[in-house]
Amino acid sequence: MSRLIHFCHFLVNSDYFVGNIRAMSQFDFQTLEDLLAGTPTEPRHLLPFLQRTQEKFRHLPREALLAAAAHFSLPASRVFAVASFYKAFSLVPKGERLIAVCQGTACHLRGGPQVAASLEKRLGLKIGQTSADGRYGLESVNCLGACALAPVATVDGAVRGHLTPGRAAELL
Amino acid sequence: MSAPIETMVSGTINGRTVAVAKDTPLLQAARDNGVGIPTLCHHPALPPDGNCRLCLVEVGGKLAASCLYPLREDGFSVVTESGKIAGARAFVVKLLLSRAPEDECLLRLAALYQTAPDPRLAGDEDGCLRCGRCVRACHAAGSDAVALVGRGRSRKVAGAFLEPPADCAGCLACARVCPTGAVKFRETKNSRSIWGKEFSLAPCPVCGRTVGTPEELARAGLDPGGALCPECRRRAMAGALLALPENAAPKRG
Ligand code: SF4
Ligand code: FES
Ligand code: FES
Repeated sequence: MSRLIHFCHFLVNSDYFVGNIRAMSQFDFQTLEDLLAGTPTEPRHLLPFLQRTQEKFRHLPREALLAAAAHFSLPASRVFAVASFYKAFSLVPKGERLIAVCQGTACHLRGGPQVAASLEKRLGLKIGQTSADGRYGLESVNCLGACALAPVATVDGAVRGHLTPGRAAELL
Repeated sequence: MSAPIETMVSGTINGRTVAVAKDTPLLQAARDNGVGIPTLCHHPALPPDGNCRLCLVEVGGKLAASCLYPLREDGFSVVTESGKIAGARAFVVKLLLSRAPEDECLLRLAALYQTAPDPRLAGDEDGCLRCGRCVRACHAAGSDAVALVGRGRSRKVAGAFLEPPADCAGCLACARVCPTGAVKFRETKNSRSIWGKEFSLAPCPVCGRTVGTPEELARAGLDPGGALCPECRRRAMAGALLALPENAAPKRG
């Protein structure tokens, strides 16, 4: 009996088991390890780590948050609190091409909502959604500080100004 | 007050001169001097967190949360009741009411500050004020099962990934400090459930009374299977002390 228990412990704790899990799931542990490798363990490095992870994975995978909790010796609940607080982070994968339509005051007045509606229609998505094939993500932002170019959107962070509902197609 | 004189600071609270140890939180200084300030998220046994904003007072004419405000320098001038303060607290109560419109304590505050729930804020009545007492109590108890997660309107108390928290020991520290009873749990003679987790309850091997969950006993370094209840432990300890040889006769020394 106790032998059996020992064996189970061995299975669960050994690299053998971990290795197998890694082989089984398609999660890219190598990339995660690389991201953590150069990261100091003081908790203040959590945010930059999450930013790099978001960039690499286009979201914050569960595995990365758990790994971060272990790396920074923080409770998982705290890491999750941080990850779920900032709008720059997402817990589900964002589209490969991320379009953010400005709905700030200036853009709102100069047709931002119509640009957003046109993109929603073309992509068959609502603001905040990602296409089923993962290719497009549609979001809104509140003022990008480029009001002179209103209405404005960003495509993967690059600003595109003076949009019209018709010209919105060029963003795709 | 026993603090050396140079670590004392003095100023006025509602016009009366007071002296307190440097870095005393304003809330405590006021209460020590017989001045009451309403609070919700403050708990004497937990670190302050400034979440409810009910304890707003005026320091040098500016609003500040007194539970988080350390008195650092001489010459502070604090006012704890004014039109400005009443207005600010009324607004705070209005917002809090949108979460717990039936809470007795909030209703009394609403009467005091003459405010009522705002119908435009309806739809979020989950009873939780987001005061975070439960989060701090959990940490103090030795786990960090729950946190305030998310932001804005969807901010709430939850475990990581919104799942039943792995490190919850089922000790109920959170439920005991919740000012509104929003932390729900169920308990029977030998089981307990909270945050979506099920626990068994270990009985005291002597009297059979419930001692706690095996998880919380283990966290406290006690035998998860056979820990005595506090009373039986006291009795056992007293018995052991009396049995010690040096206690047989009073020692001189
Ligand atoms: S559940 Fe209760 S204790 Fe926890 S944050 Fe909400 S009101 Fe505060
Ligand atoms: S409002 Fe859109 S950039 Fe300022
Ligand atoms: S008691 Fe000070 S903010 Fe809640």
